[in-house]
Amino acid sequence: MSQAFLLDLTQCIGCTGCVVACKTGNELAPGVDYIEIRNNERGTFPDVVAGFDNHRCYHCTDAACVNVCPSGALFQEEGLTRVNTDACIGCQYCVQACPFSVPKMVDGVSRKCDGCRDVTRAGGTPWCVETCPSDALRYGERAEIAAEAHRRASIMREKYPNAQVYGETEAGGLGMLVVAPDDPEVLGLPINPDIPQVTEAWQDFAQPIGVGAIGVAALGAGLAAIIARRSQLQGGHGQETADTAAASAAADQDEERS
Amino acid sequence: MSETRIADVEGVDRADQLLRYRTGQRYIHLLVASSFTVLFLTGLPLIFEPLSFLAANGWSRIIHRIAAVGFMAVPFLYLLVDRQGAKELIVDSFSYDKDDRRWLLHMGQYFLGNAEGMPPQGRLNAGQKLHHAAVIVLGAGVVFSGLVLWIWAGQLTDVQLSWAALVHNVSMLGLVLLLIGHIYFTVVYKAINAMHTGYVPRTDAELEHAKWVAEMDALKSREPQVPPVEQDPPPGAGTR
Repeated sequence: MSQAFLLDLTQCIGCTGCVVACKTGNELAPGVDYIEIRNNERGTFPDVVAGFDNHRCYHCTDAACVNVCPSGALFQEEGLTRVNTDACIGCQYCVQACPFSVPKMVDGVSRKCDGCRDVTRAGGTPWCVETCPSDALRYGERAEIAAEAHRRASIMREKYPNAQVYGETEAGGLGMLVVAPDDPEVLGLPINPDIPQVTEAWQDFAQPIGVGAIGVAALGAGLAAIIARRSQLQGGHGQETADTAAASAAADQDEERS
Repeated sequence: MSETRIADVEGVDRADQLLRYRTGQRYIHLLVASSFTVLFLTGLPLIFEPLSFLAANGWSRIIHRIAAVGFMAVPFLYLLVDRQGAKELIVDSFSYDKDDRRWLLHMGQYFLGNAEGMPPQGRLNAGQKLHHAAVIVLGAGVVFSGLVLWIWAGQLTDVQLSWAALVHNVSMLGLVLLLIGHIYFTVVYKAINAMHTGYVPRTDAELEHAKWVAEMDALKSREPQVPPVEQDPPPGAGTR
């Protein structure tokens, strides 16, 4: 069953409680954070609007990081993207591919929010959601989260005419549904965070075809070698074989003489 | 007593053998083979997920890059140790005459191990020319895309990075397929000894590279006679 987060930017008060809870709960080293709170001030005086960007993994369904990861360290589970740091080879492809610039390299391996996998699989709530004092964060079944996001957005439109739900269709649907008070680009969110077609070309076509071609070629070469050898023996085409043997014998004789 | 091996008297064709690979060429081939094998084995875990555990912790990446330096050095070393050989290889790989085109039309027979009656060929047959041309093109692709991934990955967009990875991987897949073919023909025509000693039996060369043998004979006839290889006298014959 797909799970999802709700991130209501109209409710976020920028307290950084989620940052601290995430860091503490996941025992992150100094300098490592999975959540970043940024001030977002837009407009000109006297029509100034201020808020907070809560930057973190958006858990794409068509996740570029998962697609480019060659080792399977990044994978999807329950609608979220997880990280197995033990399997990470440090290639940094995910760092470059992510349209949200989320994964970071720490001690040579990729690190990012994994939706508090251990906590949620034990029946708990992610640390950030557990801590949020303003109900800006929720976690649960995706359909319920989506309904709640739309309910909040419709209410917020009275105050913010451009209020909308971001993440229902982007990148195949995000595991982080955002109640946005304004258009995504204004909030620093990419309008089209889809995987580049060239990435999909490799993952979906070139890689399986290539690996298959190597297997078929190796098998075909083995069979052809047997056929060719039998043909040489039966048809007397093995002249070069006899000559090679003769040459080797002559060389051996030379060595013996010397 | 000194030991006289065929490979040690390079440049002197025996009556029944022809020098095909000079010492420099053989060592360059060894460098290509060894570095490519390491590159393939350390790169395979990146495209074949069941083997990805071999690449965990980044050791394979370090080994991959050390081997890459060796692989990239090949063209420079080749020019350094055998400038003429390198030049001939490049020119031959992209030059095809009428006999080459006829050879390619009949290559099914050669593929199954029968070289008799094939159109006469130069030092490289048409299949070897195609092989080397493809190796040069794909080798350039894998080297340049590899350098981009190694040095400039941090400055690339996701699309540029994906293109670099695609070119790198597809070029390498092509080279692996060529390697399978290379090993196949080496086995079928028992050619490993030629790369080991540098010499091929004259009868083999006449059968598979008649035009090259003719060229060698013509060259030899224009050159002064090479004195026979001096050998130690057999035991007991010292006073004769």
